Amino acid sequence: MRFRPASVRVRLTLWYTMVLAGIVVALFGAVYLFVRASLVRQLDSEAGAEFLAISQAVAEEPNEIAEMATEMSGRAFRLAGEGVGPYESPAFKAAGLPAIEPGEPAAGQTLTAADGRRFRVRSGPAGHGLLLTVAVPEEPVRGALRTLLVIFVLALPAGLGLAALGGSLMAGRLLRPVAVMAARAEEISAESLSSRLPIEDPSDEFGRLATVFNRMLARLEESFDRLRRFTADASHELRTPLTVIQSVGEVALQEDLDTAAYRDRIGSMLEELNRLSRLVDSLLTLTRADAAAAAVRRTEIDAVRLAARAVEDMRPLAEEKGQDLTLSGGEPVTVQADEGTLRLALVNVLDNAVKYAPAGGTIDVGVRAGNGQVLIEVADNGPGVPAAHVGRIFERFYRVDQSRSGESGGTGLGLAIAKWAVEVNGGRIEYAARDGGGSLFRLVLPVARV
Amino acid sequence: MFSGPRGRHVVSCTWEERAALNILVIEDEKKVAQALKKGLEAEEHNVHLSMTGEDGFFRVCAEKFDLVILDLMLPGRDGTEILRTLRQRDVGTPVLVLTARDALEDKILGLDLGADDYMVKPFAFPELSARVRALLRRGRTDQPAKIGLADLEMDLGRRSVVRARRAIPLTAKEFDLLEYLLRNQGHVVTRQMLARDVWKEMLRATPLDNVIDVHIGRLRRKVDDPFATRLIHTVRGVGFILSETPP
Repeated sequence: MRFRPASVRVRLTLWYTMVLAGIVVALFGAVYLFVRASLVRQLDSEAGAEFLAISQAVAEEPNEIAEMATEMSGRAFRLAGEGVGPYESPAFKAAGLPAIEPGEPAAGQTLTAADGRRFRVRSGPAGHGLLLTVAVPEEPVRGALRTLLVIFVLALPAGLGLAALGGSLMAGRLLRPVAVMAARAEEISAESLSSRLPIEDPSDEFGRLATVFNRMLARLEESFDRLRRFTADASHELRTPLTVIQSVGEVALQEDLDTAAYRDRIGSMLEELNRLSRLVDSLLTLTRADAAAAAVRRTEIDAVRLAARAVEDMRPLAEEKGQDLTLSGGEPVTVQADEGTLRLALVNVLDNAVKYAPAGGTIDVGVRAGNGQVLIEVADNGPGVPAAHVGRIFERFYRVDQSRSGESGGTGLGLAIAKWAVEVNGGRIEYAARDGGGSLFRLVLPVARV
Repeated sequence: MFSGPRGRHVVSCTWEERAALNILVIEDEKKVAQALKKGLEAEEHNVHLSMTGEDGFFRVCAEKFDLVILDLMLPGRDGTEILRTLRQRDVGTPVLVLTARDALEDKILGLDLGADDYMVKPFAFPELSARVRALLRRGRTDQPAKIGLADLEMDLGRRSVVRARRAIPLTAKEFDLLEYLLRNQGHVVTRQMLARDVWKEMLRATPLDNVIDVHIGRLRRKVDDPFATRLIHTVRGVGFILSETPP
């Protein structure tokens, strides 16, 4: 199990404190070792000086050792040699240090006395066949090191505590924009999508994050608006036929009519019902976009043949309006698409062109391939789409002329369906104004895989 | 060339079944069930209703029906399950499936399960009626060379149309349209039926209604306008019917 605090601030502080503690401990360790080494070296040189002093005294007055020992009773040393009984100073005796025999290495060595005290020892020949051993107590050095350790152990937690406090304050200060953003984001709902996150400094990480979020909010707001408009439009479009059905039915019930008149009323209701049914079909087609995309079966089809069939189907409508509907492009152009949906797209675009091109106008359909794409273009010489509306003509229920609603049997979904139908085939639909007036709708499809 | 008394039926392609047929409708929606019953009874079929899946299943197993109309969404026993079980038991009664789900997978599923045909709700009754006629006619391969109504005659082999001994030139589409109306004479055909069967358009969202209306108008001008009796009638809100008497 890993310990993982929930707050970034706490995590940052912990990390920071732990790293700091590691560094401080390592640093102290190095200092401690260095100090200890230099203190020990000092002890050793002290023992060396002692050794020199005593060995000189022994060399000058070899017969007055006992006298000398009394003079230097505070010093711990031991003299031994062939035929000379070992002589130990009172301090040496009191410590009960073990004897060092000739030949043993005896410089820079620590001996532990019987009473547990430690001594730094130096021994060597002192002339006249005597072996001199000098012992210097380590106690003062050990005491200094202990004090150093105690100071460190006491100071470390306090120092780290202060560092943690400072780190935590700093982290909190740095992270404050996040808290502010979170609080603001908390307040943003579908109703207040127009508000944005505050940005303190757009160039730092948090500022960039807030900028990205704000852009996302803008997109959300736009799609919510579109959805709101769509819901309003859809309820209008759905309610109109419902109102007609209801009022025609209610009025017919109140009247005393003959069979033919009743038939007529029922027929009128059925007409509206068909309109409603068609609307629901179209809406379902659009809303089930994902499911339908899976059901689309793309095969290799000839776009020219497909366009020819759609043009032939729609020709009577154009003829009724005296429009000239032509198809250019002869060589087969293979495209990878689902025939039904692609036809749906083209027929809807043609239907739109016939509706909006003037009586006696022209509609040209062209099919061509190039650049890894297949283009099906529908150009008319109608009034075109005013620039202000171009961005929205593929939206559901969007009409350039709002007063046309319901006229000529259109659902206002034709171009939205065309867009959907092209997109499920992996293509896209574009609108361009033609030079000299008129609309150009371009269906761009991926060319068949070879 | 045919030369018979004026007004005589040349060959009626529509198969008018005089013997009463037994049809079982398994549908839980009361109003839909009642409407189907009334409509099919008007066409002189014996119609039985089952409101639940269990009841319907046992009746199909126990009684002899000529056709089963099955709603897929049923309380208790799902329509797909009933169909699967029936086909596993080798019950060969033709089944026409009604479904509110028009996703392609469901359609394939319905046919894979052994449905003989399917209709997506909401459907037009004339279309259901045409499907029922087609299913009951199935297996009969009478391919008449000529069909007609009153003084209108159509030669399917030569693709020519004559009314009152006067040849009527038709475009290919107009010919197909008239043929479809003739084959369904006396029965209403909807625009959706025409879109699917004459224009071969499978997707409902394709806007062909106006196209169909224009073609019907042109056909009328050629077939009806020069003559005293009108044969192509509009049934307001539903579709068109080819008959000697207005509906």
